[in-house]
Amino acid sequence: MRILVIEDDAETAAYLQGGLQEEGHVVTLAADGRNGLMLAATGDFDVLVVDRMLPGLDGLAVVRTLRASSVGTPALFLTTMSGIDDRVTGLDAGADDYLVKPFAFSELAARVKALGRRPRATAATTTVLRVADLELDLIKRTVRRAGQPIALQPREFRLLEYLMRHAGEVVTRTMLLENVWDYHFDPRTNIVESHLSRLRTKVEKGFAPELIHTLRGAGYCLREPG
Amino acid sequence: MSRVRRFRNSNFQLALLYAGLFTTSILVLFALTYRTAADYAAQDEADEIDVEFVAIQDEAHLAGDGYLPQIIANHLRQRSSEHAAYLLEDAAGQRLAGNIAARAPQLGPQNLRVPVDGQWRELRAHGYRLANGDYVLIGQDPRALRDMKHLIARAFSVNAAITLLLAVLGGVIISSRALRRVDALGRTTQAIVAGDLSRRLPLRGTDDEIDRLSANVNAMLDRIEDLMRSVRQVSNDVAHDLRTPLTRLRQRLEQARRRGDATPQELREVLEGAITQVDSILETFGALLRIAQIEAGGRRRARTTLDISALLSGVVEDFAPAAADRGQLLLAEVTPGLQLSGDREQLTQMLVNLLDNAIRHSGAGARIVVSAHASTAALEIVVADTGPGIPAPERDNVLRPFYRLESSRTTEGSGLGLSLVAVIAKQHGATLALADNGPGLRVTIKFVKNGAAARRSDAHVTLSDAFVQR
Repeated sequence: MRILVIEDDAETAAYLQGGLQEEGHVVTLAADGRNGLMLAATGDFDVLVVDRMLPGLDGLAVVRTLRASSVGTPALFLTTMSGIDDRVTGLDAGADDYLVKPFAFSELAARVKALGRRPRATAATTTVLRVADLELDLIKRTVRRAGQPIALQPREFRLLEYLMRHAGEVVTRTMLLENVWDYHFDPRTNIVESHLSRLRTKVEKGFAPELIHTLRGAGYCLREPG
Repeated sequence: MSRVRRFRNSNFQLALLYAGLFTTSILVLFALTYRTAADYAAQDEADEIDVEFVAIQDEAHLAGDGYLPQIIANHLRQRSSEHAAYLLEDAAGQRLAGNIAARAPQLGPQNLRVPVDGQWRELRAHGYRLANGDYVLIGQDPRALRDMKHLIARAFSVNAAITLLLAVLGGVIISSRALRRVDALGRTTQAIVAGDLSRRLPLRGTDDEIDRLSANVNAMLDRIEDLMRSVRQVSNDVAHDLRTPLTRLRQRLEQARRRGDATPQELREVLEGAITQVDSILETFGALLRIAQIEAGGRRRARTTLDISALLSGVVEDFAPAAADRGQLLLAEVTPGLQLSGDREQLTQMLVNLLDNAIRHSGAGARIVVSAHASTAALEIVVADTGPGIPAPERDNVLRPFYRLESSRTTEGSGLGLSLVAVIAKQHGATLALADNGPGLRVTIKFVKNGAAARRSDAHVTLSDAFVQR
């Protein structure tokens, strides 16, 4: 993917560039809001990574200006502020995701990937999600594997839905907490792991092949076998 | 107390103002009274002269005009003690009788200054023309008028003097008493400014304005002292708490540098350990920041009325599998449909932290119950577990940041979880109480209803409230 990183701290910028390039992305750097805005306005990027605090034009203004001129490139905000108000203003300005510094690089990589594939995943007309022989009906709220109905708790249903919408992508624990549980803080108790193991039991036991994978130190991935 | 200050202070100025006002009103009153009395006395004297003239006329009518000189002489004799003056002149201006010198006839009321019996006197007089052409002048000393005027003037000046004296005296007394108290307050506040935060303003127990003001200032000082102590405590705690992981981190890194023969695998392990260490430090900072944010944002955040029952049940549902994985039973016993005005995310975090604690500290087989019920006055949320509990003397301590029980030192955690709960409760005007669950711990969060919660949460909750030692 082509990624534009707008970040004024040179060290962080180099770190992001190096990491994202290792993941196989093409990375362009902009050191301030004005340059970043000019580059982003060309629309040549798949994802924008925008530091919220920038000299001159700040990240909030950059994204707001882009959205006002109908540039819809998905944007990920990086910030040191974790308050709910900051998150809400960021999302209101038109950012698509929000990541609080400091973060693990794997977290950023997963979110950037998720943002880059967004259009396909959020196709509005989709009412049934399918991965291999697993089927999730969004209207009837039912799940079948190999044609057999599987009963899920509401939270397990949402968890599976999120994993299936991001099939083939790595989703992190924090992404699941934010999107499935709406927890914007990290509980000490690993509620994700517990729900996921139950979901696995229901979706995988007696079926083959395995669809939900745990990637140590990175997150989870639901993908087609092979 | 210097002379200048006595005159500058507001009480004294007020006293002076009152004295001035009293004096002015007394003067106005005096002027009015004096004027009225003088007019009355003057009229009275004019009437008296008229009566005298009528009497002389009547007598002359009876005896004949030729007796006029004798009649005048008689009257003069009768009223000799009153310094009365009479003059009778014939039409040619010849003096016929009387005790003053002949003068040009002048009719009507007049003021005279003439020698009477060899003494100059001020007289009120009236000149009359008789039918036979004779001229009669009757004058009398206006002593009654003068006496009355003197009387009035004296009465009023004595009055004014006393009023002025009392006003000034009262002003001085009142103002010097007030000044003494203000001076005492001033000395105390100066001592406080100089650094002695333990000083308090003296109270007299009279509950007057100054007493109430002093009590407020004292309350403010209590709060400042608490905060100062807590800020000191926090910086100590932060420094102390971060020293340990930073020291360990440094040791690890140094050890890796010293060992030249470390394999890439070993180096990798060292780095992973270092990252874990850094993460735990960052977590502590994150928790501190979050506490500060909640404290700072508390007043600005819009609260919504939310279904707290649904919130509690939802969180319990989220946590039940994790509890079950540890062999624990997590249950919600919540009255459905309870409403509470608050911040959804904060209240969620509050319960999550309490459940984190309960799950982490209670062993397998424990039973954790989240319950909520409301009375007319309050709404109570209770998280009770059957774990090891907290010994009574430690219950207050665990609300302090970074405080950890000896028994839980080895488990992971920032020691800020309960502090965050305390801050959120405080932001919602709720009280937090820890009690014995026999066995286990019972945490009760009590929200007072009837807008009391909203009012209290509007009050300024200062940074580090949670850190104040209870």
